[in-house]
Order: sequence, then structure tokens, then C-alpha cells
Amino acid sequence: MHELSRTSQIVEAVLNEAQKQHASKVVGVEVDIGDLTFLGLEQVRFAYKVLTDKTIAKNSKLTIKRVRGRGSCGSCGYEGPLSYLNDPQFHISVPTFNCPRCGNPLSISAGRECVIRRIRVMK
Amino acid sequence: MPHTVQSEPGEIFDIELDENLKKANDLIAEENRIQLKKHGVQAIDVMGAVGSGKTSLIEHLVLLLRSRYRIVAFKGDLTSKIDSERISNLGIQTVQINTGRECHLDANLVRKALGKIDLSVIDLIFIENVGNLICPADFPLGSDKRAVVVSVTEGPYMVVKHPFIFADADVAVINKIDLAGPMNVDANKLGSDVQAINAKTSVVFTNCRTGQGVSEVASALDIHPTL
Repeated sequence: MHELSRTSQIVEAVLNEAQKQHASKVVGVEVDIGDLTFLGLEQVRFAYKVLTDKTIAKNSKLTIKRVRGRGSCGSCGYEGPLSYLNDPQFHISVPTFNCPRCGNPLSISAGRECVIRRIRVMK
Repeated sequence: MPHTVQSEPGEIFDIELDENLKKANDLIAEENRIQLKKHGVQAIDVMGAVGSGKTSLIEHLVLLLRSRYRIVAFKGDLTSKIDSERISNLGIQTVQINTGRECHLDANLVRKALGKIDLSVIDLIFIENVGNLICPADFPLGSDKRAVVVSVTEGPYMVVKHPFIFADADVAVINKIDLAGPMNVDANKLGSDVQAINAKTSVVFTNCRTGQGVSEVASALDIHPTL
């Protein structure tokens, strides 16, 4: 939903860092994006391409790592991926925030990230 | 002259950044939370689709609770003061937050609104988010509790189509239950869908035209008309 504004944050941070490093070119950028955010990866890629045009990051490779939703259970100690409701009526996977082992609510430990991990630059 | 080894033009190297792009909002949300706590103010974020009944719910909660609590309502909308006028007609202070184009409130807008009121004479704040079931989920505001209003007129699949909004929802309000029959929507199914997604979310059924169920919403939010 906020791909353009999030991606402009990404591009801005990348260009700032590249300038600090006196880089002549940004070759690649790696970001982690959680499954529980509302960022559509196709739109992020498209926005990235548009926003880096006419910058030193033009044609750089954007690598997106999808981070799956995970949770931990205060009741039974489960720590692991979220499970999904499987109702064939819906052609979508609906996640549940309940523990797959005991059914109690989980606290979410991963899947909400939007983080720039590293950038690769050329001097 | 000592030799120093430096990267030369054309060399490629990696820089670890670990820059969290959600940090800016989350930090301000935490500041809001601390500020509210310091003044002993409870804040409730009310989310839901356009026309689901958020303002009507807040109107009834104000009527129920205004003798015990000193209440302020923040109203997020793209434009207009229509809703905040509805609520200020009940004799409580409102702060209109017009987002202009943004589809959700963020922690910074709420911080600005907090700056417009005297927290030392306030007990309870209702923060009505912009009508939207998607974006507000990504932007914590620093409230104590989050409520989501879903009405039966939005159809039978509203909950499963918007699972993420329930990840942090303390209460789900299934509204307009008087229209469930004509709409041919099973309100109980909407409630069980919420529970399947998040067992922590309490489900309350309301008709915010008449006020039916509103006192149960207040109890579920841990705000009570009497001590």
C-alpha cells in the first residue's frame, strides 16, 4: 500500500550512504520485507526502478528477502512460523495469530520488517 | 610517506546498513505511549472501513462514559470537520486531524494532536483512524487499545479479507447487526472468523444506531461508566 513512500525512503537512505562513502555507483541493494507488511514486492521493484533512474543507483540490483511471519507462544512455548487457515473457499492464505500447537494468541516475532540490510557500491 | 591501503576507483564493496525504515514511526508511537502513561490517560484507537460506524460507536461510548471520564476525541479524515462536529455536539473537546491525502493516521500526527490538548485534565482519548482496513495496521500510534469496527453491510468476507488489521486488535466490534437479516450475512460467522485469526481479540455485536451492545464494547476495552 505504501510502496512508493517506503521505496523513496529506501532510495534516499541508499543514496545518502553512497555519498558518504564517496561511491561513484550503487551496484546493489539488499532489503528485508516482512510478509505481514502491506508492501507489494512487484510495486516496490517498480518504484525502485523509477526512483533510481537518473541517480548513481540506476540499474542497480535490488534483492528483496521475504521474511515469513513468525510468532512465539506465552502459553506453551511454541516458537516458529505462523500457520494459515485453509479454507478452499478463499483463494488467499489467511494467516492466524493463534498458536498452531495450543491455540492461544501468539506474539509476533518476525514478519513486520522493512529493513535495508546492505548496499554494494563502486568507488 | 606511509602507504595506506584504500579502495581504488572501480573497486566494489559492501556496506552493512541495517537501517529499519519503520523505526521512525515506532519510536514516536513509543513516546506517545510514555506521555499518555505519565498523565494517566487511556487512549483507544478505533479503526474500521469507511461507513462501518466508527463515529457512531464513539458517540455512544461518549454518552455512556462522559459522566466518569474527561474525554477528548481525535478525528482522522482526509478532509472535512463533519465527524468532529458530530462528536463536539456531545459537549466534549475534539481535535480534527485532516490527513489531506494519507490513508491512515501515523504516530507523528497523533503526537501533534496531543500537543493541542492539556493532558493533565483528560482521562480518556478516542482516536478515530481514517476509514481504512489496510494501512492503519502498519502504523502503531501509541494507544493502549485498538478496536476494529466491521459492519455486516460490508459483506460476509470482510474479516478474512483483512486479517492483518486483527493482529493487534483488542476488540472487534461487529456493527449493524439489525441489518444482518436483510443483508443475508451471518454476524456470528464474522465473529468466529475474527477469533480464528486472533483468539486474543474480543468480539462484541452492536447496533450503533440504538446503542445496543455499546456497554459491552466499553467493558471489553476496560473502560467502565462507574467505578
